[in-house]
Amino acid sequence: MSVKENVVQEPPCTNQSLSNYLWKEKPDENKWADCVHCGMCLESCPTYEVTGQEQHSPRGRVHLIKSVAEGKLEVNEQFMDPVFACLDCKACTTACPADVDVGGLIEEARGQVRQALPLTGWRKMVSSFFLKGIFPHPSRIQTAGQLLKVYQKSGVQSVVRKTGVLHVLPDHLKTMESVMPKIKQPVRKKYKHEEVIKAKDKTKQEVAFLTGCVMDVMFSDINEATVNVLTRNGNDVAIPKQQTCCGALHVHAGDRDMGRKLAKQNIEAFEHADTVITNAAGCGCMLAEYPELFREEDTEWRERAEDFAKKVVDVSKYLHDTGYEKPEAKLNTTLTYHDACHLAHGQGVRQEPRDVLLDIPGVKMVPMANADRCCGSAGIYNITNPDMAGDVLESKIENVPEEAEMISMGNPGCMLQMAMGVEKHGRNQQIVHTVQLLDWAYQKEDQERGRK
Amino acid sequence: MFRRKKALKTEDTHIKQLADIVGPKEVLFHKEDLISYESDGFTIHSHMPKAVVFPKNTEEVAAVVKYCADHDLPFLARGAGTGLSGGAIPLNGEVIISLVKMKRLLHVDLENRQAVVEPGYVNLKLTHSISDKGYYYAPDPSSQYCCTIGGNVAENAGGAHCLKYGVTTNHILGLEVVTPAGDIIEIGREGIADVPGYDLLGLITGSEGTLGIVTKITVRILKNPEEKQTVLAYFDRVEDGSRAVSDIVSRGIVPAALEMMDKIAIEGVEAAAFPVGHPKDIEALLLIEVDGISAGIEEQIDDILDVCKKRNVRSVKVAQDEKERAKWWANRKTGFGAMGAISPDYLVQDGVIPRSTLPQVLQKINEVSQETGLRIANIFHAGDGNLHPLILFDARVPGETEKALEAGSKCLQACADAGGSITGEHGVGIEKREEMRFVFTDQEIQAQTDVREVFNPHYLLNAGKLFPSSGRCAEIKAEQKKAASE
Repeated sequence: MSVKENVVQEPPCTNQSLSNYLWKEKPDENKWADCVHCGMCLESCPTYEVTGQEQHSPRGRVHLIKSVAEGKLEVNEQFMDPVFACLDCKACTTACPADVDVGGLIEEARGQVRQALPLTGWRKMVSSFFLKGIFPHPSRIQTAGQLLKVYQKSGVQSVVRKTGVLHVLPDHLKTMESVMPKIKQPVRKKYKHEEVIKAKDKTKQEVAFLTGCVMDVMFSDINEATVNVLTRNGNDVAIPKQQTCCGALHVHAGDRDMGRKLAKQNIEAFEHADTVITNAAGCGCMLAEYPELFREEDTEWRERAEDFAKKVVDVSKYLHDTGYEKPEAKLNTTLTYHDACHLAHGQGVRQEPRDVLLDIPGVKMVPMANADRCCGSAGIYNITNPDMAGDVLESKIENVPEEAEMISMGNPGCMLQMAMGVEKHGRNQQIVHTVQLLDWAYQKEDQERGRK
Repeated sequence: MFRRKKALKTEDTHIKQLADIVGPKEVLFHKEDLISYESDGFTIHSHMPKAVVFPKNTEEVAAVVKYCADHDLPFLARGAGTGLSGGAIPLNGEVIISLVKMKRLLHVDLENRQAVVEPGYVNLKLTHSISDKGYYYAPDPSSQYCCTIGGNVAENAGGAHCLKYGVTTNHILGLEVVTPAGDIIEIGREGIADVPGYDLLGLITGSEGTLGIVTKITVRILKNPEEKQTVLAYFDRVEDGSRAVSDIVSRGIVPAALEMMDKIAIEGVEAAAFPVGHPKDIEALLLIEVDGISAGIEEQIDDILDVCKKRNVRSVKVAQDEKERAKWWANRKTGFGAMGAISPDYLVQDGVIPRSTLPQVLQKINEVSQETGLRIANIFHAGDGNLHPLILFDARVPGETEKALEAGSKCLQACADAGGSITGEHGVGIEKREEMRFVFTDQEIQAQTDVREVFNPHYLLNAGKLFPSSGRCAEIKAEQKKAASE
């Protein structure tokens, strides 16, 4: 029967000697063994929606990664394209009936690509400046933040905007500049002399807080709100000084060695904490995935990473699970909620932030269609793949209901991207973080009490 | 920053010409880009296409087809590539015409209860976009989250709710088709239930992409039923479950859906992403849905509960709300993919049998499993006797793929022997070409390939599918013709 003849011609699958992955941490065969190519992931994938091309779909990428291991393809530029065009949004992980860890495979494949085709020239310069020179060093991030602050405050920003110097930037960076939030004092700097920020009333529990890089510089008011909300609800908050960047950007970019270095530092920094609170979905998800980085490492670090991962929780889920005071003041607003990918798909946190928001009196929530569809931010994807990110953003903004005055979410990257989307598409919604709203409600309550 | 410019770097004149038709960005020809197209939802076969093109409208499809026909390039159409019999696999290094960019809902006519869609429009999206007005599109293959209506027409797709509402062909009112010569023809008329002449709608629907490429589809849409009730029943014996199926239908109830899963299938769905919490030690479960006008639904449910009890059901419950119902269905509809959680590969078969023979045939499948040493899970549309044995295997183990194919063939033989057929809704494709002989004589096959020759005389469109390939006179004739023209 002809069927059989064809089958015999196929090369024996995963014969290791055929594999074209030549470096350590090869993509994990067990991850693609779960994929039966059913295609249920297709419609969940933003890059497939935009391109309609299978190599830009989850199952297509899994097939590509598998084909390199089978020796049918090599690690080259053409392979790199679909592997790096993935947004890492993990929507496919939610859609997949067999729980295939597509995201994990992509990151492992990126590690191989980066070793096979190291960045060269100006790309290498830009990449190592940000990923190696800035992000792993909290003091340098703060300095960068200071520079931005000077840029905004000194009037240079308005001069620059007026003179049109910005025209030299590509469009997507121009829009980003225009929506950059006002830089304030980072929380880590503000509380640097305090070992633990005490709960407002009686202490129920002590938690440790990962402040994040972008969050603490660009959105320090959200970090401030997080500390306020936690301390108001009986939590002592520690901000361990040794903590560093979570490493998500590095791992997404294929630099797993740097990712591991940062992971080790964070695992040590939070060794004594029972609970590690994050308010940035991307960071929280990365922390919870540290064990993946030590898959091929010695067991000691793998175990420590596993213990650490169990302690990580998003602030909205933590509040929801441990209980919080329901605010009494009314915030009269209509809002819609955007599920950050790394919160909904990455950490399974969907209902908790919505419940927190709905507990605020006067908040009316209108649902957003495809609320858990990626906005295109995806770490620094909107900088590295602006065209794709722009297309993804456009379809996201189309789903923002007209009547919403605010869009609430739980990730700084999404906040910047959504702000860009609102600006670019002539909408007028305010972009807020979930804990920010809760904090505003508390503050208003305090003011009203004070007045009485 | 990091922006990469893609130029069309190729010396191949065919690729260049195709790029002139659809645009340079809409042609894939690098090996790395093509490899994702080497198979569809049926992964036992894989063949590389020559190129993949993404036309945006009917005219572009026609132009590509014409170019291929004029230059003797084999070609085929592809939708979401979720087909389970290999209908979209480029056996002959075809130019794949991907229709996923033709994905618009063109027109909804509630008054006449019909909608017009492009072939790349996803099945479930149609229901989603008309549900607020109280309407839906009935055919619901389990892959409806992602499969396209064009693909559904090609395969005459079925689904869980086809027991009461019929398969795709019962819902198609009109088609626009690009013939293998590149001409554009209209079949059927919008709003008209029947037209004189041969039933070409019926012929094209289910022709598995061998007679033409569908570029526009008019479908029937239905009003949402007033009420829906769903029952979940657990059985300790497969036989009790399958007898209950026959009993329900013979009581005169026509359930909207009547689904069955056996123990291994339950193990799979419970290990996967959408578990319900089914007990691990039951041998079979039935998922039964009745719908229609509210009056009478309660009686039907009572009848169903009564049948289940008479057939020694361990426990049976009615879904309390839409959330519970949706959970049961998500568990069922992702069942095939869920097998990935308990097996690296699977081969799904698609036999049809008279309902009353269910117990014997299931027993026979069990024997096949024991003979081959491969586990076989059963998830299927029990109500219309449409079996889906899922043969679990590991392609990495030498010889297992062949064993799985053999087991699949034996399951189909069992269906044919019981007076049934070798496919209910997945199509023949590559997978069941040989098994066509179980149900058709040489003359009957010949009659069908003769029909194909009228539409597809040069046999460039999706060759090698649907009928046994070797030794067929029609096939030889086509090959001779091809050789002569070269």
